[in-house]
Amino acid sequence: MDKVILRLKERSNIPVEAEAICPDLFLTKSQQEIEELALYYGNKGRRLGDFFQVQGERSDNIVIEGEIPNFKKIGQGMSRGNIHIQGDVGMHLGALMKGGRILVEGNVSDWLGAEMEGGSIRVKGNAGHLVGAAYRGSSRGMRGGEIIVEGDGGSEVGELMRRGLIVIGGRAGDFVGAFLIAGTIVVLGPVGLRPGAGMKRGTIVAFQEPDLLPTFHYNCLCQLSFLRIYLHHLREEDLNIPQEYLGGFYKRYNGDTLELGKGEILVWAGQVA
Amino acid sequence: MFRISGGEVYDPLHGINGEKRDIYVRDGKIVAPEDVDQKHLEVIDASGLVVMAGGVDIHSHIAGSKVNIGRKIRPEDHRRDPVPRSQVTRSGVGYTVGTTFVNAYRYARLGYTTIMEAAVPPLKARHTHEELMDTPLIDKGCLILMGNNNFILRHIGSGDYDKIRNFVSWLLHACKGYGIKAVNPGGIENWKWGKNVAGLDDLVMGYGVTPRQIITTLIRVNEELGLPHPLHLHCNNLGLPGNYQTTLETMKVAGQSRLHLTHLQFHSYGGESMRNLSSQAPVLAEYINEHENLSIDVGQIIFGEVTTMTADGPWQYTLYQLSHNKWANSDVEYETGAGIVPFLFKRDNPIHATQWAIGLELFLLIQDPWRVILTTDHPNAGPFFFYPQIIKLLMDKKYRDEMLASVHERASCTLLSQIDREYSLYEIAIITRAGPARRLGLRHKGHLGVGADADIAIYPKEVDAEWMFSNPRYVFKDGLLVVKDGQIVTDYMGRSLLVETAWEESIAEEIGKEFDRFYSISLENYPVELDYLPRYEVIPCR
Amino acid sequence: MQVNGVEIEDTFAEAFRMVGSRILITACSRQWALQAATTMTGFATSVIGCGCEAGLEREVEPEETPDGRPGTSVLLFAMSKKSLADQLIKRIGQCVMTSPTSACYNFLESSETVLVGGKLRYFGDGYQISKLLGGRRFWRIPVMEGEFLIEESFGVQEAVGGGNFLILGQDLESTLRATERAVAEIGKVRGVITPFPGGIVRSGSKVSSKYKFLRASSNTPYCPTIRSLVDSQLSEAVNCVLEIVIDGLEKTEVGEAMRVGIRAACLPGIVRISAGNYGGALGQYHFYLRDILGGTLG
Ligand SMILES: [Zn+2]
Repeated sequence: MDKVILRLKERSNIPVEAEAICPDLFLTKSQQEIEELALYYGNKGRRLGDFFQVQGERSDNIVIEGEIPNFKKIGQGMSRGNIHIQGDVGMHLGALMKGGRILVEGNVSDWLGAEMEGGSIRVKGNAGHLVGAAYRGSSRGMRGGEIIVEGDGGSEVGELMRRGLIVIGGRAGDFVGAFLIAGTIVVLGPVGLRPGAGMKRGTIVAFQEPDLLPTFHYNCLCQLSFLRIYLHHLREEDLNIPQEYLGGFYKRYNGDTLELGKGEILVWAGQVA
Repeated sequence: MFRISGGEVYDPLHGINGEKRDIYVRDGKIVAPEDVDQKHLEVIDASGLVVMAGGVDIHSHIAGSKVNIGRKIRPEDHRRDPVPRSQVTRSGVGYTVGTTFVNAYRYARLGYTTIMEAAVPPLKARHTHEELMDTPLIDKGCLILMGNNNFILRHIGSGDYDKIRNFVSWLLHACKGYGIKAVNPGGIENWKWGKNVAGLDDLVMGYGVTPRQIITTLIRVNEELGLPHPLHLHCNNLGLPGNYQTTLETMKVAGQSRLHLTHLQFHSYGGESMRNLSSQAPVLAEYINEHENLSIDVGQIIFGEVTTMTADGPWQYTLYQLSHNKWANSDVEYETGAGIVPFLFKRDNPIHATQWAIGLELFLLIQDPWRVILTTDHPNAGPFFFYPQIIKLLMDKKYRDEMLASVHERASCTLLSQIDREYSLYEIAIITRAGPARRLGLRHKGHLGVGADADIAIYPKEVDAEWMFSNPRYVFKDGLLVVKDGQIVTDYMGRSLLVETAWEESIAEEIGKEFDRFYSISLENYPVELDYLPRYEVIPCR
Repeated sequence: MQVNGVEIEDTFAEAFRMVGSRILITACSRQWALQAATTMTGFATSVIGCGCEAGLEREVEPEETPDGRPGTSVLLFAMSKKSLADQLIKRIGQCVMTSPTSACYNFLESSETVLVGGKLRYFGDGYQISKLLGGRRFWRIPVMEGEFLIEESFGVQEAVGGGNFLILGQDLESTLRATERAVAEIGKVRGVITPFPGGIVRSGSKVSSKYKFLRASSNTPYCPTIRSLVDSQLSEAVNCVLEIVIDGLEKTEVGEAMRVGIRAACLPGIVRISAGNYGGALGQYHFYLRDILGGTLG
């Protein structure tokens, strides 16, 4: 497959605004045009070629080699293609994206997939705060698509999310699914404080007993077909979902009753009732 | 010292309708040809260009506490509209609730040079002036909210009229205000109890007075003090179906006295429910046509994002329930309140489309352009930088009909499609500068006669009025070139416009007692000192 | 033409254009997945009298179902998209939703769909919950036992109804045995069902009647007890006739089902294999028996 490889020349700590690294843009550009794409390095305008050795052209397949935790907004608003990041990467990765796929071998910083509308993001390491969240002031966060973080996630995962699926393989920070409007968040590790605070609808699935707010009410012990579908899907995505999770029972809490109260937190309760 | 040469001048105050005139400027004022030294005269070539006085906005919300609440609850509004700095200007953000500097730049870039901040709670006057200090280029004044003030309501109840006049006079002084504003008189006080008033004769809880009494009293005070601007009134029942009756009654309350009714579009509705909200603009326009004591500004709807903000707290709560959007409510102690709700006016919404048509009906059915003033009640009905679009709608019947066809068909239930009137440039000059200046009592603004402030906007003469009024070639403020070809070229601080009226010292003692008992700040910290303002100008009373 | 000594009549089965769907029912066990399927496909033998024709296509292994539970695949056919949607809503609502532990999914990929879960969701009285995964929307409806999960919309496609053949035998015992064997073989073909009891019709019909109020009546030319009273199609050697009716999603599948069915039915005691048609004027599909058995489809 055709691809454009970006090889980092030199590591830096100064933030780079790199929304120009986007498959939609690369698709029609020659190698030279890609090198000329504008990036902000701190408050100075630079060219992409100043940071990366570019190999390949006119492809919506982008491979980035090197550690770029200071590069922000990569894949912002992308609608197609692939970005494969072989190291760590900075904030706002895949924010507002509409389609395509992002794969990160390392860790990512905050605002991963913020307000994304479609497509999928896979992170093999950890993610920062506000995965799939709404930018401050927005009425809605993630509106579709899938984010899978194999490691840990920070605080406010899926804040104000409207639709889609977020999976945190490890531990999630405080306020998971805060103000959730709809959508599904699955946390395989421990969950921080106040999950689902202010949620209206939507689902948070936890496998370790969380500390719930008093505005969440216990309903029953249940087995839910839809959850089996989701867990099956995650198995197909090569996540380690034990058989006990599929066949097991879940405690269903509804909340946040300060809001609509039609959201749910499902807590795995073991294989037998 | 310069001469603007060969331009097509529109100066309705002097009856100049597009004739070629030279305009002479010295020391920030327009002067007679014999008052300049012709030898050392710079010449601005305005041939083929249209010359007007700087625009005057009679009603806008650009500074103060509720504007700031709007900024705080709408980071998304700013994120979409970043404004980088230039050599001359500061960076900032728009959109509907922009930063002070950005608002000022954008006004100047339309050729507007004087703005009235339309709703200042006395307690927040200091804050408002502080924001206005950061609003460069333009001159600005503050209309002070008094329609729900405890002191005034109480003394209307006790019938002590002199005390009220003294208090109002003192309050204008303390706030460094320009005029009296009343918003939903009595309704905001009742909102403190979770209620509203539904008509002019409802009781204000705890005071036993009525909106009718409040309006009558404030008109009387305003006229006795001889303030340059009449009472600036936001009527009861804003936004509600059938409210035109309240509006009509309110106009009758004024009798022969001067009265300015603001954002009349929001007060011109028929119907019994939101579902059948309709236009009663023709009825109100007819009444206004027959009563020269009345003036209005329109509050024209612009389709798109707005941030509604008004002292009318109960209405804002209703709007919050209608829109399910975010809502901030603010209570200003003994004086007033405010509510802020972001809103989206949609072309395909039957109510919004009707509101849009009603605004245009008011513009077109009120015959005397001197008494109908262009506003969007920024940022309530639309951001002010859409004024050129409104101008085009007024000047171009074809464009208006096209837009009418593109909005919800319910708008066609209004008279709009049957109105053929098209505004001339002369009339546009009236509704955007000469008219508001006259209605504000700003005798040195809104015209290009000798002695006027040299606030001058020069536009390219284009068929597309929207483009023309969005792109002034030159804008002068006090004779300084501040905008050239769409760019801000000078940093300059405009003046605060104030009035000075007299009051009896005895009133201060009584206010002091009130403050000791009920206010969260002491009287000493309340009045805004004159030397707090970087530049000011006292406008004489009548 | 003869197969195993059984004569294959040179005639054709006349089949009709229908609209078909395939749904997947899962449950906590095979037994309950079968129960829901059986209930749902009850009273669904003939579209004229029952509104649709339906049957169990096959059992589905847990590995093949989206929720990893045992399942059953059901085919349902009707004369129009609208009536199919109507039948799906009624039958899933009354027979699947009511069946313990069941869940119900679309099992037919098609560009055309009908709303089913999207309508049944209102049973949830406002407490229904929507879930969207990989472009598929599901509805979770709270029920007394827990939750009924159903997909929002189901694929529908043009299908073939009324493929058939007649087994003419010497006696009831050998005819029934041969027909049962044919049904068993047809059951292995994907994409088809035999909607009548046990897959068999003993009361075939013709499209006419001496009574004005009836449009169809017993297939008298094939009724042995009145052989000499009517213009019979039976020889003296035939004392019993059974029919198999086949509906399928694709024409090729119906043909294949007829082929394996006829082959299986050609046992000792069977005299002739025939097929039902109306002269070819009514149905859009004609399955010539000799072509089918010869491996070419007409
Ligand atoms: Zn206003």
